[in-house]
Amino acid sequence: MLERTLLQSTGFRNTGPEGCRDGFEFRLRLPSYRGLRASLVDGVDVAVDGEEFGHEMNRYLIGGTEFTLAALRDAADVRWPMDEAGIVRVAKAGGLAPGVHEVTVRVRIRQSYIPIEFQPAIVAETRHATVVQP
Amino acid sequence: MSAFKYGVSLYSFTDDLGTVMGLEDAFHAIADLGATGIEILGEGHVAGYPEPSTVWIDNWYALLDKYKLEPTNYGAWIDTRLRLARGMTAQEGAADLARDLRLAARLGFRYVRPKIGVVSFDLVPDPIWEEAVERCLDLAHDLDIVICPEIHAPTPIRHPVVDAYIEFIERTKTKHFGLLIDTGIFQDRPLPYFPGETPEMRRDFLNGIKVPPADFLAIAQYVVFIQAKFHAIDESLVDANIPWESVIPMLKQAGYDGYLSSEYEGDRAPWRSVEQVRRQHALIRALERAHDANH
Repeated sequence: MLERTLLQSTGFRNTGPEGCRDGFEFRLRLPSYRGLRASLVDGVDVAVDGEEFGHEMNRYLIGGTEFTLAALRDAADVRWPMDEAGIVRVAKAGGLAPGVHEVTVRVRIRQSYIPIEFQPAIVAETRHATVVQP
Repeated sequence: MSAFKYGVSLYSFTDDLGTVMGLEDAFHAIADLGATGIEILGEGHVAGYPEPSTVWIDNWYALLDKYKLEPTNYGAWIDTRLRLARGMTAQEGAADLARDLRLAARLGFRYVRPKIGVVSFDLVPDPIWEEAVERCLDLAHDLDIVICPEIHAPTPIRHPVVDAYIEFIERTKTKHFGLLIDTGIFQDRPLPYFPGETPEMRRDFLNGIKVPPADFLAIAQYVVFIQAKFHAIDESLVDANIPWESVIPMLKQAGYDGYLSSEYEGDRAPWRSVEQVRRQHALIRALERAHDANH
């Protein structure tokens, strides 16, 4: 089962070769009551300790395939099921320092049955999460 | 005398399912109410949707048998805004609906609710709905399924959306399309503010669109399923938002004998949904008994 929070504790880690990290990633529970086609997820804004990483620049791993935001918007045939975490990848030279960080995610969801003026719906969550390894 | 059938939608257990509750836990919670029906969302509760494994399907039927529940309504979506570059064609909408009708039938469901994309603030459905549904009527007939779009706040009963659905039924003479009523339309007191919501952000319909329960009588003949939407019931079995004491007698007066399928949509604290659904069934069953005793 997944954790109740959107950002999952496990999987929060630095990416790239040790000693020259190029960013970090985390696992994300889909903030919805149903699975969605990837094109209905309009990216995720991320903030770590106040530093913003906009949804346009982040990358998204769904079902083992990595998408840029533009590719995600075109992915009308890719399904993100409720019971699988997606992975959000954020570019940041050097990665994050090991330790506890305050992380905010703002997940942007487009639902066809909600009036367009309220779209995308943004589901936000802030929590503390821990990077273990440098 | 007509009697209600009692069920629960797995939507009630949103955020619990898959985090603190598995599918069998949900079956147990529903069966323990003395309810007979289980409602699901296809792209939410069927692992591997839209092509579940035979192992999953075998387990589904084993659970139905073990807990003595019958499949009621299957929620589906016609995602008209799936592509940013263009809208959905009626053929694409029909293909999506047909896919869900077939899967619903494989799982034993009798009703399929397509949630259709909207083109206006008051939830007028994308005009493709009519051709998309009509293309699927023969299939629905073959599968013995009724397609039932949902009448949901802020759309009241007296509204062009409902009129158009009824005109469709009258024109096609179909027995495989009907109305699903979400009892949120009867809400007559405001929902609490969600975290971070300010009065300026509040959307009016969250204060309740207050459809008079008597409006149900005029459309009762077209209603095939009811989702018993609610948000909070206290220790005295008082619902904070839905006036069940006037809704239930009207459903009885109309002779409604279909399902009341709980849709809890309140606070998502873990496991709260399980207790809230129990209170709703206790409340509605008491109102039904009281009505029956006097008629």
